[in-house]
Amino acid sequence: MAESDPPRTALRVVDVDKYFGSVCALKTVNFDVGRNEIVGLLGDNGAGKSTLVKIFTGVFPPTSGELYVADRKVDTASYSVKTAHALGIETVYQDKSLGEKQALWRNFFIGRELTYPLGFLKVREQKRIANEIMVNTIGFRGRGIGVESRASKLSGGERQGVAIGRAMHFEASLIVLDEPTVALSLKEVRKVIDFVHKIKEGGKACIYISHNIPDVFEVADRFVVIDRGEIVAGIDKGKTSLKELDEFLLEYSHGLRDRAQP
Amino acid sequence: MSRVLGMLGRLEGLPVAVVLALLYVAFMVFAPTVFTGYRIYMSFFQTVPPMLVLAVGLTFVITAGEIDLSFPAVVALSGFVFTWCFETFGVGWPGFVLAIVAGALVGWVNGFLVARLRVPSIMATLAAQFFWYGVTILAAGGLQIDIGTVVGTPVHTLFVGRLFDVFPLQALWSAGLVVLCWFVLNRHRFGQAIMFIGDNAEVARVMGIPVEATRIRLFALNGALAAFAGLLLTLEINVFYPTQGQGMLLPVMAAVFIGGTSIAGGQGALAGTFFGMYIIGSLEAGVVATGIGGYWVQLVEGLVMAASVILNVVIGDQGVSALSSTARRWAVGRR
Amino acid sequence: MRKVTRLALAVGLFAVSFGTWAADKEIVIYMQMGGTQGDASTLARTNGARAAAAANHVKLIEQYSKWDQQTMIDQFKQAMAAKPDGIEIMGHPGETAFAPLVDQAEAQGIIVTSGNNPLPGIEAKYQTKGFGYAGADLYAGGYLTGEAMVKAGLKAGDEALVYDIWHQEGRSRSSQGVYDALAKAGLKVDKLDVSAQVDSETSLAIPILTAYIQAHPNLKAIGTQHGNVTANLPKVLQAAGKKPGDIICGGIDLSPATVSAIEQGWISASFDQVLYLQGYMPVMQIVWTKRYLVPGLHVNTGVGTVTPQNVASIKPLIKEGIR
Repeated sequence: MAESDPPRTALRVVDVDKYFGSVCALKTVNFDVGRNEIVGLLGDNGAGKSTLVKIFTGVFPPTSGELYVADRKVDTASYSVKTAHALGIETVYQDKSLGEKQALWRNFFIGRELTYPLGFLKVREQKRIANEIMVNTIGFRGRGIGVESRASKLSGGERQGVAIGRAMHFEASLIVLDEPTVALSLKEVRKVIDFVHKIKEGGKACIYISHNIPDVFEVADRFVVIDRGEIVAGIDKGKTSLKELDEFLLEYSHGLRDRAQP
Repeated sequence: MSRVLGMLGRLEGLPVAVVLALLYVAFMVFAPTVFTGYRIYMSFFQTVPPMLVLAVGLTFVITAGEIDLSFPAVVALSGFVFTWCFETFGVGWPGFVLAIVAGALVGWVNGFLVARLRVPSIMATLAAQFFWYGVTILAAGGLQIDIGTVVGTPVHTLFVGRLFDVFPLQALWSAGLVVLCWFVLNRHRFGQAIMFIGDNAEVARVMGIPVEATRIRLFALNGALAAFAGLLLTLEINVFYPTQGQGMLLPVMAAVFIGGTSIAGGQGALAGTFFGMYIIGSLEAGVVATGIGGYWVQLVEGLVMAASVILNVVIGDQGVSALSSTARRWAVGRR
Repeated sequence: MRKVTRLALAVGLFAVSFGTWAADKEIVIYMQMGGTQGDASTLARTNGARAAAAANHVKLIEQYSKWDQQTMIDQFKQAMAAKPDGIEIMGHPGETAFAPLVDQAEAQGIIVTSGNNPLPGIEAKYQTKGFGYAGADLYAGGYLTGEAMVKAGLKAGDEALVYDIWHQEGRSRSSQGVYDALAKAGLKVDKLDVSAQVDSETSLAIPILTAYIQAHPNLKAIGTQHGNVTANLPKVLQAAGKKPGDIICGGIDLSPATVSAIEQGWISASFDQVLYLQGYMPVMQIVWTKRYLVPGLHVNTGVGTVTPQNVASIKPLIKEGIR
């Protein structure tokens, strides 16, 4: 493969294990996301979705296994959130994307502040860029909300919009959405779905984690199911229907299947 | 008009500043001979600065969602280190530097306990308070150390000398520290990290803030600041008392909360801390000056604190505009 | 020497030394020291007690109550529970609070004695069982200080302030003496209470006294019987713009700062309780009663004031924490 070819996969995870003490959270996980692919990651609570996400977003390392970002191997020992950001991986969490009592301009740049040599913030510049993102990328208009406003003043959907806008501004090549539509109104859910479409149109990749199967079905190209720490299924959208997918997952939750391939 | 009010309302610490101003107006009215002269203010500038420095450090700690109860012990420890060094070497600077290092060390240990061993900060720093206070008394053999000869040395003149023969320099140092720390808290990466950690440590962590390392740095900073406060105190009174600092825990905490910093963390009002500390520091003297019997002091203190705290909660972060809109709604409802 | 003789000698020596050791068995004493370890009103007492303990095979258990009455009661109960040979208490909590507890202790065979603050009724009751007193007659000591202040240059009609812990009766007996002495000499005397805050951090007294002095421009005298307040008086006067002698001051105890103040003329008289004796005597009392059934001795340790005239000779002892 020539150096200048674009990477085939945005992310690849090979034979990853994660143990917390003696508790096994992930076992022999093999998972990848194509360069311009939307993957829906499905599974029950406690199946290991969050753990997997935290590993490839740099929050903590796997106990064993390999990690490739844009086809390049990553040193898991030194891999951090900062490194993940630098490699273009951004995450939007259900409820821990923003500091609620903090101003929006701070929330945009937290973790990657623009600073002068001694560490003092370039406040004016950050506020300016934040304002641009708010108006152009996210599309905020008036309503008394500006970059100085605290995150707590925004509704749930607006906060998700801010978090997604932030991810898009920092030119993420892979955006992970972890339960992004929980507790949102129908209109706001629609907004989130539209964002995901925009990600696809922009040539980027996305991992969409949700319990809402119809939503996942609409946006994703491929579905990956995880159960009790192991990947149990990978299904292309073209090869199934919403009804089939629903039934498949229902059978899993009732324990009627046991790690068999569909 | 409402825009001006709105702007004023967002000024940090304004409610507390208003309470302070009202308090001084009341003192001037009821005790003109004392409060229209300069001497009483100079005496405040003598005694409040050490506590103000402590309050600044504590504001940072509370903003990060923690608490530090060990600063009184650091005040004693740093005082001891300085006076011992001064007695032994005859010059002030080695002791000054060593004292600050000692304070930072105590803070570092606190930070380690909290961040790496996950001991809740209230427990870790309470234990630290007893431990380091004990170390200090042991090292000092329980004796006071009198260092009257420190007056006139460079260290002394620089930090607690009198500008124009009258103005205590420690007031300038502590005020300057408040300004510097305001910029660190509100305009620096470290301060922003502190605010996010206090707001929601999980968010901070997944956003890439090194939460544990920042916490350790925070406590070490507070230890160094407490040591500086102890130095200002010891230099001013020229004596090391083994018990110094013990009585400062409650007034300093009260000042931080009156100042408007929320116990929940995430936001820190340093300007409020500044005004709050001067309120606490001048209250008893003012009440005494007005001739009200000494037993009334506690009562008045409680009232002033309650008024400040209620004002802070009512105005919250909406500013004065919230107050005026509440007033307007009430007026409309009455009609 | 023959084997039997050697054996007899060894046994004999052993018996003698064992007997001496048994007769001289360690005595356990719980002692109330008063404030906090190391503060001006407590240190010399602690040193005196430790000296007596070291010289007499005594295991000394020190108790520090921060001058809090309830803590003193609690600490007495703790001492009783440990069944020591003797306990020394201070009179601050009062006779009504202590009487039943002392009865209990005496019934258990524990020797109880007192210091610093007297309990005359209890002392009379158990004097034969070794209940003594080693302390200054606080009122008389305060009175003496007041008289010394007057002698230093006050006259009838002058304004004076006595600043002390008026809200605790047990800790204002000596300042009442100062008050009465000044009043007797015809001065107009005012009282100001030391708040709990100032009590624990005395440098906070500076603005308060400055305010008082400014509000009373004709003030000629400040008296106190609070050790740390005494030590801070020079700073107060300087902050108020006064020179030594402008305001006659009287205080208590001999911390290094107070001694300097006396030397420089800021303080005209400091009441010396000879705290060292208040530590040494109660320990000895318990030892003598335990070993030789000596009844309680009433020793008045408040025997004078330190003034600019006699301070020079006492200074070296103060540095060592003895006076």
